[in-house]
Amino acid sequence: CRSVSQVPVAEGKSVQQTVELLARRLEALGADKQGTFGVDCETYHTAAALGTQGQTGKLMYVMHNSEYPLSCFALFENGPCLVADANFDTLMVKLKGFFQNAKANKIESRGTRYQYCDFLVKLGTVTMGPSARGISVEVEYCPCVIANDCWNLLMEFMQSFMGSHTPGIPSVFGSKHDSAYSPGDTMVQYMELFNKIRKQQQVPVAGIR
Amino acid sequence: MPVTGGTINMMEYLLQGSVLDQSLESLLHRLRGLCDNMEPETFLDHEMVFLLKGQQASPFVLRARRSMDKSGMPWHLRYLGQPEIGDKNRHALVRNCVDIATSDNLTDFLVEMGFRMDHEFVAKGHVFRKGIMKIVVYKIFRILMPGNTESIEPLSLSYLVELNVVAPAGQDIVSDDMRNFAEQLKPLVHLEKIDPKRLM
Repeated sequence: CRSVSQVPVAEGKSVQQTVELLARRLEALGADKQGTFGVDCETYHTAAALGTQGQTGKLMYVMHNSEYPLSCFALFENGPCLVADANFDTLMVKLKGFFQNAKANKIESRGTRYQYCDFLVKLGTVTMGPSARGISVEVEYCPCVIANDCWNLLMEFMQSFMGSHTPGIPSVFGSKHDSAYSPGDTMVQYMELFNKIRKQQQVPVAGIR
Repeated sequence: MPVTGGTINMMEYLLQGSVLDQSLESLLHRLRGLCDNMEPETFLDHEMVFLLKGQQASPFVLRARRSMDKSGMPWHLRYLGQPEIGDKNRHALVRNCVDIATSDNLTDFLVEMGFRMDHEFVAKGHVFRKGIMKIVVYKIFRILMPGNTESIEPLSLSYLVELNVVAPAGQDIVSDDMRNFAEQLKPLVHLEKIDPKRLM
């Protein structure tokens, strides 16, 4: 089960400095660095050609997650999330007459993975093009796949290093009831996070790499 | 069906033919002898063909296929391009193909993308392999009520036979190997390059 949330940039500090602050807190708890991760999201919209179908204005997101290197996730906001293999990207190239890639909207989060006992924390810098736009924190409690059974534990762990920035229960948990958490749920959370960040004001000055 | 990937331009090389029901056993017997030694593999698949209509003259076609007899298999999404107009000496039909394994909400997702189902059918048959070649002998069944795969009826009194290879573009030697293999199946079945456009 995972919670993906955003941590605001600390007052007077840059994105990079805030990420370092969080990293230091994790390391103080005893977490070990375990490689890097990356999650990216591309946006496609239906080209004008589809006007007659009545599907105008729909956005489709195609995402990748380094934890699942052979997969590709395609989703619609409030719609189904398809899990496919990496060839899906090739299919999108064939479909370019119908779906256009809004290249300027590509957004990604990259950073370090930290392991602390049964928890895996991914601290990422969210960037759009050359500019850093925010910070994502993904916290996973590895042994459990039933969302509602481990939310309290996840929250308690997050409070130990995120303090008041600990997020509320993710909306995907709400619809899960007792069914197992799946990678698609993580991607939906990242999509929501990326959409929120895209709408936010650009982080002033010092955040730019 | 094997799903290969990696190169953006994978091509499917195809030869097709058919045999009447009464000749099925002799063909299977010959194939068992010629092909790689492996457990006989049968399949029962449900295929749905989806179209996306745009302003272009021809709609975009995608095929969604699921196994009805093997549980836990991913769905298979397939794109097939127009047959390459090439060398008349090329022995097989060659077309671009993209094969993708997906989760089982594929049809909902295709509809969300704007695709609509054009037709569906059930395919039941046998699969053989010889090296990179795949030989499929199957019968097509018409689905009497949309979405109900329990009530089906055979489309014809014969079995469709297909010899195909999926390989990166430019490997025309593949079609020579296919022709040589096809020779060994004569006179039980004549596998030929059949241009779908000539049938329309």
